[in-house]
Amino acid sequence: MAAGDERALGELYDRHGSTVYALARAIVGERADTEEVVADAFGQAWRTAGKFDPARGTVTAWLATITRTRALDLVRARGRRSKVLARAAQESDAGFATPLAASDAPDRDVERQEARQLVKQSLGELPEPQRRVIELAYFGGLSHSEIAAELKEPLGTVKTRLRAGMEKLRDALSPRISRVEP
Amino acid sequence: MNEHRWAEHAAAYALGSLDPGERAEFEQHLETCASCRAEVQSFHEVTGLLAQSVTPAAPPPALRQRVLRTARRVRPIPWLAAAAVVVALLGAYGYWRAESQKRAFQTALATAQAQLDSTQQVVAALLDSSVAITDLAATGKAPTMRLYWNRARNIVVVTAFDLPPAPAGRTYQLWAIEKGRAPVSVGTFNPPPNGRAVITLPMPAGVKPDLSAVTDEPAGGSPQPTQQPFLVGSWQRRT
Repeated sequence: MAAGDERALGELYDRHGSTVYALARAIVGERADTEEVVADAFGQAWRTAGKFDPARGTVTAWLATITRTRALDLVRARGRRSKVLARAAQESDAGFATPLAASDAPDRDVERQEARQLVKQSLGELPEPQRRVIELAYFGGLSHSEIAAELKEPLGTVKTRLRAGMEKLRDALSPRISRVEP
Repeated sequence: MNEHRWAEHAAAYALGSLDPGERAEFEQHLETCASCRAEVQSFHEVTGLLAQSVTPAAPPPALRQRVLRTARRVRPIPWLAAAAVVVALLGAYGYWRAESQKRAFQTALATAQAQLDSTQQVVAALLDSSVAITDLAATGKAPTMRLYWNRARNIVVVTAFDLPPAPAGRTYQLWAIEKGRAPVSVGTFNPPPNGRAVITLPMPAGVKPDLSAVTDEPAGGSPQPTQQPFLVGSWQRRT
């Protein structure tokens, strides 16, 4: 690998490493597993970078998807449930995102802080049942029917909540979402 | 299934929560439906942002080396792909910065445009054969104001060179005075602290002033001067 290539990866990591790490940690929980997920995720990103099309989405979304997939795969491979699901069994309210505290790292990136604020606020403004199904899907990797089983709710209810919640989030986050013409 | 029904799947698809059968069907549909692809993409961006909702955690410093090592093992990447990633990540990261800069530029541009417009109006008012000029001065002192009266458009451009702002609660008021008549107010003004100002005021219709004068009045101005003018200029010599 040429030096320039490695610099590019280093830059990718420096920009997004902490987000990827925090996301992986929120899903897998354990530190060694988190690091494995992060290394795998960047490895996959690197391998498939040629296919990444900036016109079809942001790097943030692309990396988040890779990370989530890797993290959920690892959790399943370990025969465990995602950290969020384990918590969900104990906690009935108050979103999962906040209590998943790892070592707090003050983020010096103001824009990312703003984004974080907006996302947290938007999530917080969702009706609790809607937020819950989204979190189970996102952090727990559960499908509609798995969520329905988990919550003992009708499948149709789960689908409706998830969709309504996602639409509200999309509205609330629209200033941060670059639209692409269909 | 009509288009609307399909679109219902987009959010769940982006979250990865469609059940396998639905997912396969929807993916097939996506191949031929640009509007569903756009829906999926916008929800995909939402899922990307959801990653920001987790509590920030600093990766251990050694992880960076491990990432680079893993990637090196994964594959030697063509430089073009690497460049694409850098371009893309800079693009994504610079996006919000660029957006806020754009807004700042737009504001600055609007301000500059407004200033330019007003300057152009002033220049247009000055460059006219109908313009009469008079200097206003306190007795025995250098002029501190000059008036340009565009008689064709009946507007007065007031320029102040060295006129301190009026005291608190006070304002300056410009008067047009025709001999034998009561002074007519042209308008009030107040220079900024540097004492320099360019203000355009309409000359009251039908007034053909012989003199112009400035008084110091309570804020808002007065119907008639309440003070002796401290600046006076005559139009007679020049008109």
